[in-house]
Amino acid sequence: MTKLKVDPITLQVIRGAMETIAEEMAHVLFRMSFSSIIRESEDLGAGLFDRDFNTLCESESTPMHIGSIPGYLNGIRESLDDGQWFEGDVVVHNHPYFGSSHTPDLAIVIPIFHDGELVGYSANTAHHIDIGAATPGLIIDVPDVFAEGMLFAGTKLYRKGERNDTMWNYIRRNSRAARQLVDDIEAQIASARLGVKRFKELLDRYGTDLVFSACNQLMDYSETMLRQRIIAIPDGEYRAEGWLDDDGRNRGEHLPVKVCVRVIHDRIEVDLTGSAPQTVTAYNVPFEGSTKVAAFAAFRKLLLDTATSPTRVPSNQGSFRPILVIAPLGTIFNPKAPAAAEARFTQCNFMIDLILKAMAPVLPDEIIAGSSASISFASYAGVKADGNYWVFLEVNEGAYGGRPKSDGPDSIDNLMANTRNNPLEDLAMHIPMICDRYELRDDVAPGAGRFRGGIGVVKAQRILTDGIITHESERHTNVPWGIFGGKPGAVGRCDIYNAAGGDVREMPSKFHGLAVKANDVMAYYSPCGGGYGSPLERDPKKVLDDVLDGFCTPEDALNVYGVILDLDAETVDLAATERRRAQLDAH
Amino acid sequence: MARIGVDVGGTNTDLVLECDKGIFFHKVPSTPKDQSIAVIRGVMEICDLAGIAKEEVSLIAHGTTVATNITIEHNGAEVGMLTTKGFRDILHIGRHKRPHNFSLHFDVPWQSNPLVKRRNRIAITERILPPTGKIEVAMDEVEVRAACALFRKRGITSVCVGFLFSFLNDTHEKRAREIVLEEIPDAYVSISSEVANVIREYERFSTVAMNAYVGPKSALYLRNLETKVQAAGIPAKLRVIQSNGGISTIEGCAKKPVGILLSGPAGGVIGALAEARLAGVENILTNDIGGTSADISTIAGGRIRIKNPRDTVVGGHAVMAPMIDLETIGAGGGSIAHLDAAGGFHVGPRSAGSEPGPACYGRGGTEPTVTDAQVVLGRMDADKFLGGDLPLDPALSFKAVKEKIADPLGISVTEAALGIIKVVNNNMALTMRANSVARGYDPREFSLMPFGGAGPFHGVALAELVSAKDVLVPLAPGITAAMGLLGTNLQYEHIRSVITNLYTADQPALDRVNAVVETLVAAGNADLDADSIPAPERQFEVIAEVRYHGQGFELRVPIPGGRLTAENRADVISAFHARHTADYGYAFDDALVELYNIRVIATASAPHLQLPKVRMGSQTDLPAALMYTRDTVFDDGSTHPTPRYDREKLGAGVTVDGPAILIQHNSTTLLPPGYRAEVLAHGSLRIAKQ
Repeated sequence: MTKLKVDPITLQVIRGAMETIAEEMAHVLFRMSFSSIIRESEDLGAGLFDRDFNTLCESESTPMHIGSIPGYLNGIRESLDDGQWFEGDVVVHNHPYFGSSHTPDLAIVIPIFHDGELVGYSANTAHHIDIGAATPGLIIDVPDVFAEGMLFAGTKLYRKGERNDTMWNYIRRNSRAARQLVDDIEAQIASARLGVKRFKELLDRYGTDLVFSACNQLMDYSETMLRQRIIAIPDGEYRAEGWLDDDGRNRGEHLPVKVCVRVIHDRIEVDLTGSAPQTVTAYNVPFEGSTKVAAFAAFRKLLLDTATSPTRVPSNQGSFRPILVIAPLGTIFNPKAPAAAEARFTQCNFMIDLILKAMAPVLPDEIIAGSSASISFASYAGVKADGNYWVFLEVNEGAYGGRPKSDGPDSIDNLMANTRNNPLEDLAMHIPMICDRYELRDDVAPGAGRFRGGIGVVKAQRILTDGIITHESERHTNVPWGIFGGKPGAVGRCDIYNAAGGDVREMPSKFHGLAVKANDVMAYYSPCGGGYGSPLERDPKKVLDDVLDGFCTPEDALNVYGVILDLDAETVDLAATERRRAQLDAH
Repeated sequence: MARIGVDVGGTNTDLVLECDKGIFFHKVPSTPKDQSIAVIRGVMEICDLAGIAKEEVSLIAHGTTVATNITIEHNGAEVGMLTTKGFRDILHIGRHKRPHNFSLHFDVPWQSNPLVKRRNRIAITERILPPTGKIEVAMDEVEVRAACALFRKRGITSVCVGFLFSFLNDTHEKRAREIVLEEIPDAYVSISSEVANVIREYERFSTVAMNAYVGPKSALYLRNLETKVQAAGIPAKLRVIQSNGGISTIEGCAKKPVGILLSGPAGGVIGALAEARLAGVENILTNDIGGTSADISTIAGGRIRIKNPRDTVVGGHAVMAPMIDLETIGAGGGSIAHLDAAGGFHVGPRSAGSEPGPACYGRGGTEPTVTDAQVVLGRMDADKFLGGDLPLDPALSFKAVKEKIADPLGISVTEAALGIIKVVNNNMALTMRANSVARGYDPREFSLMPFGGAGPFHGVALAELVSAKDVLVPLAPGITAAMGLLGTNLQYEHIRSVITNLYTADQPALDRVNAVVETLVAAGNADLDADSIPAPERQFEVIAEVRYHGQGFELRVPIPGGRLTAENRADVISAFHARHTADYGYAFDDALVELYNIRVIATASAPHLQLPKVRMGSQTDLPAALMYTRDTVFDDGSTHPTPRYDREKLGAGVTVDGPAILIQHNSTTLLPPGYRAEVLAHGSLRIAKQ
């Protein structure tokens, strides 16, 4: 390939074309797919990659997927059937010790040949509801990676355009939700094929040299944008630490997480040394496909915020290059085979929360207070009358910490998560479940502050037949912190009880394969975010609004915010408020 | 007998009048505070212009941005909501997905500007159970009355009701409305099972809340306009164009203003289609390019496509109302070109608007816009902009392009200006491709129709980029939307969810579906009764919204004969497979095909604008139409002495070869070398490669 210098105008043209291809791929995937985790939640990623596995473009879908595919491609190189690619091959891959993000996220990869030469890959990843693990849906307390279900490494579903029926039959026999698994893989293949077609059209139109030169320049461009932001941060080591509740088996044994961010001129090292050793359960984070991806995402959010940046930086490999991630082998962020590593999301989100905390001294106007920084990932399953399973996966939202100029958003997917919820009505029309409650938490208050933390959600799902629930969550013991005088938020909570009455069981944040009875309800309460800045500096009008809207009690208005209200007239007494605040400030 | 189309835009209110004497066009400045002032003024003036008495006007068809503007300016009604206990915050949570993946400082529109504040969302004890709609817990009427008392105390008069599973059973919602009207007799009440009777609670609640939010003001505006028309002694019926392209009565729109949120751009698409038909064309890609944005749509086989309700979002809020499938992007004459810190080159979405406007307006704008690039390239003649009404200063355009783009990049001003045009054209072309190719249409079978004042500048370049067959420039590109208002039918849509596996549907299941069809047809008949439409003029289209069981997105398939039978069930299934293959390139098997919603579209034909043929011309028109010749730079960078022709002086059949520029009062058509334009029988231009 000849390297060309592509002018800025043509560059913009190629960039637009690449981004459109990635979006089109994602669009086909989530519109066509069957399981709600893909079609409603959009738990997927799609894009194009060059021969060296650089991300050329990726869809704006779920951040946990964005940036994970190069890891898969590296793993496929080591494990590919036949040891080589042919035109017309389609590969499925999910092995966490060959670079995957975690086992349920299957990648479909199709090589792109142009004029007989391998020039790149069209690929996507999507979360599948059941790949035949030890228990339906999600898993936590399992001994090793082999309990996670089918492991694919460089496995060809098509060879030279010919369908590998043996493999498809095998897959169909090894899932509790075989129909959805197989149909969703078909949707992934349709999406990847579209990427191949569109990319070849682009190569025909502009020529291979020009397109790849443009892609390289676009990667350099993203890299430059990020490095410019890093240079503006004073060099130094910035640290924060915290802990995770437990590994899902050994209750009460906290797992330390330590983050050291080293800013070295125009690059950053994220060093996770000192974090917990790898766990004996599946509560570990695959390094290539998840730990690195989360660290990259943290700095994209922090330094290339799409809501505040005047220009948008293309989603490609360039934005990963300035960041080096270090996690010693054998630790929770870099487990050794054969450790299981399926339940890896909350550790990633918590790592990002700590990175933001670490950077607070030097980026006070960019960072935010502590967020829920966990996830609630629940699987509900049961056996139908015909002997087949039904399986439903649900991602519940969290809440953001208070921000320098605004309150933390309430009940919304947090940090690395960005899925959509399932319509409750659609769910109840198709699955033996019904939702009893879905609203903002009112049992606790969010972190008070000049800008308050976001309010977590409460969702109570009732299962109408006997079934099995697995729940992956965090922060039942570690409250999201306030910052710069802001107050802490609230920890999460999870209860199980029967709708007919009886005891309420308070559950740990992670539990696995719990057998439940018909009409048992799982009520999940997500953590609330911490506050940013002193509550005494909050605009009294906002405090009034919060009291009227039920986001703040009249007592907290008086004692935490120092605001004197006339609730009948729905007004603030500003003079009395000023006196009250002076009085509180003196304490 | 005269009919008037009046389209209100941000800057101008455009009018078209059709009567025995012919067709007349007029423009008056819009009056944003009360759009009706300009509407009435324009109507009176265009009657004078046509030399007819106002008593002769029988119909005024109106395109309005009144509801849209409420959502942009956040000045809708204070709304009270009654909702199911345990689910008070469905509107606050939305679909729990952030608008940005990589951001910490993002805004969440449905939380920062809620349609209903939480304090006014009152949870009511009641419960309806799926899948049958059985009432498990009766509605607590005391709670409803207590909520009304609170609303009264807060001066709230717009109330919406959204209960869970009301699409299965609307008893509680209807009873709640009765009570609200007893307690607050002048209340504007919207209930979700009437405004959008479909499954999915957030989208249904958001739609009914939006209706309540924009309702009172929109209704006031529409009724006020009706009164003013009557007071002015105009005997015309007043009709409003809806987002789906059909027209409706004032009463209909006042009750359901969520239907007119995209009233504005709908007229343009219809106007373009009407002119395309006169040219014998049924496949068009429309691009309505204004000052700040471009509205892009694809019409195949003469059928306007309706957006998937899952994609219809207004001001960040889901709105389940049928809307023409338009994509709007920030690309127009006022779009600003700029370079970022790492040398990236961007045009738009930021726009100079009309204040300060492009640099060449001389109103203080210093950043180069697309219009400035056209001026630099010698395509827009400074003395002829808006017929000379607004003289431009080319030196200011040159300065802006030089200082902000050319010098930093080390290229010439001409190269920089060409780059601005190239990037903005590419942005539009990508959206046009996403709106056509990505949905299975082959653009080589489509004519590109550019309109809006700036459209015809870009037509040929866009056609090349998207590989369209040719370009059709409408007769009056700046006024196409107003013309569209006189080219559409009365249209009412009713929808209900009736989830049915089509593959296994037995007779009772088919009966259940057809009972829903009957109900919806009856509702359509009631609407047309109100319009006094005689029965023979009524048409009903029955549409099945279908998906594969488990999917989250439905596709529309017509039900042949309007009723689902054991015989046509297979046709519906195979039509759905075909639609799915066209959209996504793959079909699954019959066992999964699930009917989700029934939609009935009731229509009654209205007379359509009859554009007369223009006089036959001959090539000798050219010298007479020639205004002058100036050097002009084309997209390939070549400069040619380029003749300017007065488009209005060219008769039918006349051909013009590029390079040339065709000028009319509010639009300019760029004809590059190698292209030929032909004036068609009704005055539109067809441009194709020579």
